Amino acid sequence: MDKQRDFVLRTIEERNVRFVRLWFTDVAGTLKSVVIAPAEVEGAFAEGIGFDGSAIEGLARSYEADMLAHPDPATFQILPSRGDSDVTARMFCDITTPDGVPASADPRNVLRRSLAKAASMGFSFYTHPEIEFYLLKSAQFGPEGPIPVDKAGYFDNVPGGTAHDFRMRAVNQLEQLGISVEFSHHEGGPGQNEIDLRYADALTTADNIMTFRTVIKEVAQEQGIYATFMPKPFTEHPGSGMHTHMSLFEGDTNAFFDASGEYHLSKTGRSFIAGLLKHAPEITAVTNQYVNSYKRLWGGGEAPSFVCWGHNNRSALVRVPLYKPNKAQSSRVEYRAIDSAANPYLSYALILAAGLKGIEEGYDLPAETEDNVWNLTDSERRAMGIQPLPTSLDHAIRKLEESELAAETLGEQVFSYVLANKRAEWSDYRSQVTPYELKTNLETL
Amino acid sequence: MAEQEPQTSQTLSVLAHYGFSDLGAAAVNYDLALKHLGNDSGQLLEIFGKTGDPDQALDYLLRLVSRYPAEIKQASQSSEQLESLLLVLGASSALGDFLLRDISALKELIDFTTPGSAEDFRDYFEEALNFTSAQSSEELINNLRRAYRSMLLRVTNFDLRQQDPTLGLHLVAKALSDLASVALDYGLKIARWELTKTTDFGTYTAEQVSGTKLAVIGMGKCGAGELNYVSDVDVIFVAENKDASEGLEIETKLATRLMRIMDQASPEPGLWQVDANLRPEGRSGALVRSLDSHINYYQRWAANWEFQALLKATPIAGDFELGNRYQEAIKPMVWESSRRENFVESVQRMRERVTANIVPNELDRQIKLGVGGLRDVEFTVQLLQLVHGRTDETVRAPATLDAIEQLSAGGYIGRAEANDFAKHYRFLRVLEHRIQLSKLRRTHLMPVEESQQRVIARTINTEWSAAELSDSWQQVKQLVRSLHQKIFYRPLLVAVSKSEGGLELSSEQVHDRLLAIGFIDTQGAIRNIEALTSGLSRRAQIQKQLLPVLLEWFGQGMDPDGSLLAFRRLSENLGESPWFLRMLRDSSGAAERLALALSTSKLATAMLEIIPEAASWFESPEKLEQQTLEELLLESDALLSRQENIEDYGKAVRAIRRRETLRIALAELVAGSGYEKSSVGLSVISQWYLSALTNGARKFLQHDGKSVEELVDIGLVAMGRFGGEELGFGSDADLMVVYKPQGTTSGDLAQSLTEQVVSSVRIQATDPLLEFEIDLGLRPEGKNGPIARSLSSYESYYARWGDIWENQALLRARMFFGSNVLKLEFAEIIDKYRYPETLAESAVIEIRRIKARVENERLPFGADPARHLKLGRGSLSDVEWLIQLLQLKHGNNKPAIRTSRTLEALGELVAEGLLQSQDAEVLKESWLLASRIRSAIYLWSGKRTDLLPNDRRQLEAIARLLHYPHGSASALEGDYLGATRRARAVFERVFFA
Repeated sequence: MDKQRDFVLRTIEERNVRFVRLWFTDVAGTLKSVVIAPAEVEGAFAEGIGFDGSAIEGLARSYEADMLAHPDPATFQILPSRGDSDVTARMFCDITTPDGVPASADPRNVLRRSLAKAASMGFSFYTHPEIEFYLLKSAQFGPEGPIPVDKAGYFDNVPGGTAHDFRMRAVNQLEQLGISVEFSHHEGGPGQNEIDLRYADALTTADNIMTFRTVIKEVAQEQGIYATFMPKPFTEHPGSGMHTHMSLFEGDTNAFFDASGEYHLSKTGRSFIAGLLKHAPEITAVTNQYVNSYKRLWGGGEAPSFVCWGHNNRSALVRVPLYKPNKAQSSRVEYRAIDSAANPYLSYALILAAGLKGIEEGYDLPAETEDNVWNLTDSERRAMGIQPLPTSLDHAIRKLEESELAAETLGEQVFSYVLANKRAEWSDYRSQVTPYELKTNLETL
Repeated sequence: MAEQEPQTSQTLSVLAHYGFSDLGAAAVNYDLALKHLGNDSGQLLEIFGKTGDPDQALDYLLRLVSRYPAEIKQASQSSEQLESLLLVLGASSALGDFLLRDISALKELIDFTTPGSAEDFRDYFEEALNFTSAQSSEELINNLRRAYRSMLLRVTNFDLRQQDPTLGLHLVAKALSDLASVALDYGLKIARWELTKTTDFGTYTAEQVSGTKLAVIGMGKCGAGELNYVSDVDVIFVAENKDASEGLEIETKLATRLMRIMDQASPEPGLWQVDANLRPEGRSGALVRSLDSHINYYQRWAANWEFQALLKATPIAGDFELGNRYQEAIKPMVWESSRRENFVESVQRMRERVTANIVPNELDRQIKLGVGGLRDVEFTVQLLQLVHGRTDETVRAPATLDAIEQLSAGGYIGRAEANDFAKHYRFLRVLEHRIQLSKLRRTHLMPVEESQQRVIARTINTEWSAAELSDSWQQVKQLVRSLHQKIFYRPLLVAVSKSEGGLELSSEQVHDRLLAIGFIDTQGAIRNIEALTSGLSRRAQIQKQLLPVLLEWFGQGMDPDGSLLAFRRLSENLGESPWFLRMLRDSSGAAERLALALSTSKLATAMLEIIPEAASWFESPEKLEQQTLEELLLESDALLSRQENIEDYGKAVRAIRRRETLRIALAELVAGSGYEKSSVGLSVISQWYLSALTNGARKFLQHDGKSVEELVDIGLVAMGRFGGEELGFGSDADLMVVYKPQGTTSGDLAQSLTEQVVSSVRIQATDPLLEFEIDLGLRPEGKNGPIARSLSSYESYYARWGDIWENQALLRARMFFGSNVLKLEFAEIIDKYRYPETLAESAVIEIRRIKARVENERLPFGADPARHLKLGRGSLSDVEWLIQLLQLKHGNNKPAIRTSRTLEALGELVAEGLLQSQDAEVLKESWLLASRIRSAIYLWSGKRTDLLPNDRRQLEAIARLLHYPHGSASALEGDYLGATRRARAVFERVFFA
């Protein structure tokens, strides 16, 4: 820690950094930034930087407004330069109360606690997200909805197209920020993109997702277009998910791997999946936190609307990807519900907690589902014991309310904040009269 | 028949007398040894008698004889050399093994007058390591190690030949440091030889290698010249290279090789680990840095604790000219930094390090860590250096014993304390040395086996048994512990009270020490200490003795300033009461309990100020036993028969209530009686209080010569939590009053008399010193109704006007005062309403509606419902309303659930199948936690509030009262929010179902 701190202070000197942005995330998953001068960085490491927490959604109750941001030196990065502007760096922060206790409402702290729990069981948690998003001509939209930048479909290569330039620039900037991008290709919808972040521990991944969103938005702006992580901006096109591959390691050993297991999946791996399945409905209000998220979940196609798992089943909630021979380390499971607008800290904390619960309690893994569950009838699904995920935010809130797992993982304060916040959103949404109603009802009624 | 024992020269009892323990074997072996050596038998026995482990000494002697007969024979010609040999063999099997490997070292056992100087060691190494003829680096490494162990034999011999090993401890420690330094110096020479003569570690010219400068800086004990027998040697490397283009490649190679040379595997075993982790940037920083780079680092990047580590830095090997320049450059920064930094925090970090890393099951065997261990001495010394060395250059010596001497000379430690402290330190170090010497292992643990402890004991003093060693050690531990207080805290008193005592701290020094303890208002603390210790009274004398430890206890509490002030007031109130002085002087447990009460409860503090005599209860826990209702009534009845008027009587009764409330508070604070016991006790007190005051009011209120009792039968009905015998500290008493005219008394007269009695009770019950609130709000018609009603008035009221919420309130009604007839008749009336045959659906809806409304309206403006202990979500009222709804519904058919007590009701509801047991568990957890917190808030702050505090300090204080570990403010908050959330879920499901 001290060494990393020293590295930061030295780099600031050597690279002539003029501003340092301190980043943290509110409970809703929005990135917040406080800018300080290099001279203040040393003090920030020692004592933290005070700020008014009540201005940040869900972070503080009004009476404990004073909060301290403690930059995590391990997250130091020089931000890619923009022309001849001043050299700027950033660090993610942990938030504490003035007496040094981790703020219970700091999402990063929530994830840290979950990771500490995993560590106490001997595990480290690695994740690898595939983040989808749309590039639009602008944030403006007309009666037909937003306008995508191009009409390319899956895997189309559009030489010299906007998307191509955009991707080159974005990949370049991300790599300057030390975020390795594993693969990038064009997803199913027009203007839709996918960029995969490389495997890293979950805290780094969550930090990287926050950085990634910012970079993507900024590069888009630079190029005169608009990037959105909205879960489902188009009725007729696929939504933007953030399928996440995950694995647990015991030291250097992949705890999901067992050469003799079915799909080379260990007992630990099977229980982990069982935990994900059992608790999936109650964590959906966090992994899919907006009204709009449910338009994606229930929009058909390959959306994971039902709680089941499969090996190569592209409609399952949890997928066990094909095992690559001799790659014991790459054993993993993919959770497909989470969308690109989720708060990654809270979502990963809950997903990890669900999986660990499965391991702790030794849950049995239900049978694999091979069919495309969308093609089954309701009765067939019921017969097979396949539950749906919540169908709306309201439904998800009610599941969350009853979740002891979520309360314990998020902490009482984040838990009540999330519930209150989501209830308010649902109530706002419900009070709308939608174009749909006008279109279908007005002329006939 | 046993086998015939062979004939031996010594009887077994003689051998036992000289300390042998495996007697049969010793008898045979002794004769063998005697035969070979041909010494005088009596003299040889005498020598064995001086060794730590005669059996081991004899055993090794025979092995040496059989391998090196001539050498041993020759050595034994000198009885001095023979004695040295046997002393070493009896103390260290590791050195015995070394002699078996290398008998030439035997000659080092000749001189035992000095442990050897650095020059002596250097000369010896110079001769032992022949660099010009050396064939391989392994040869040099083995020679280096043999040289080290040969010299170690010399040091050991000096050490063991001392009459009192504690006296020469510093010489031994210095010699061990010198020896390690010389070994490192020659290790470095070997490393240079390797780089020049071989290509195993890179190809360098002799000019390149000899052109490098490398200094080894000793940190920790080696740097301070107080190394023990086996320990990691902490170092830092400094290099200088004229040819900057080379970087520090060669120097880094040299340093890396040096570390391996000292400990890598080789026929002659490694010496010890060289630990370079205190270097800039720690484990991951560059192993070797230039002088400029070091300076730059410490000027710009180093953390506070890194400077603390530099306190002991001294050049020990390699290029001393460079090393000295390093020291000159770095030393000034060390103390400059400690001036800059927040030193209270540094002190706390140090304190944490003292208590950290102790494996619990080794605690009582630890020489170094734990209470009264070496680390305690070092902590005290370093603490004083940190506090006073900032401004005083003369107290900065790196070695502990030197520092004690300097602190004493500088007037920071009294002469006598300094001597004692040094003496104990020497004892503990000798103990550590003897344990390490045995196998030359790095350990700080007393062996488990008694036989091994005996050997340790004998190597210190041949007269000692294992038990005697253990006693001495335990005694030293105690003394070290108390010396910490004497040395750190006592001078504060001396300085403040300006009494005789030799040691004078300046006011600035006093201020620094008080801050380090945790006082905020140091001026106030000084005034309080002054008041407590000035004068020549016996009390002042005793308090001078006690205050050091009190200050330490207060420093660990939540409010050192307040606690000290409270103690001063108490002491002034009690004056010269002999029992108080005796208690403070003799019973340290009592004083500790007193300190605990003062630092955890403002309620107890305030009551102690009013009732100082209660301090005597700290002496024995049985005095904290609650009084029963009968005992209390006996006392108040006796008072009543003596007192002339209601005012005097009321005053006496109020005093008893304060006393008994304090008793219960103290029982909870210092005797660990739990909330449930306290709440029953508090209910008993309230019940007695109201009864006694009613008795008094009746006695002094007469009508036409008749006593009130003859005219009217008055009943007092406890309601709410009072009805359930669940009062906490600071709860008000919900009450209803009922009466029945006696004989021919008219209704109006009975009403008037009862009202007068109630009015008198209310006046007398009011106590500004310990608030008491009678709440009559649950009576029919609430605030608008008469404060008392006749039995028949109750009957007709409930029949005609009673609201459902009034019926509900009756569920917790419990008449505790009044005739048995009245009790029965009242119960008969109210049972009809509280346990109705059927509860109409409309009534159920009404209850639910009222509850929903109360939740919104009663909550104070702006209060967070999640934190309101009484009306908040899932807290007290949710649990109680749920129970009451079920009692209203089912109380008629299921008499078992008729109880005014919450927890009992939950149990019965489960037993009757009206509530699921897991739901009841959830409700119980939340109800109990809310009740305990509410009570604890009053106990801690002396103020009534129904809100869970937001302030972390308040939360911390409450958490401690609830027996959470230190630092649990957030844990308590989380537990409460979780418990009430779960209770609310149950409530919503069951209550609104």
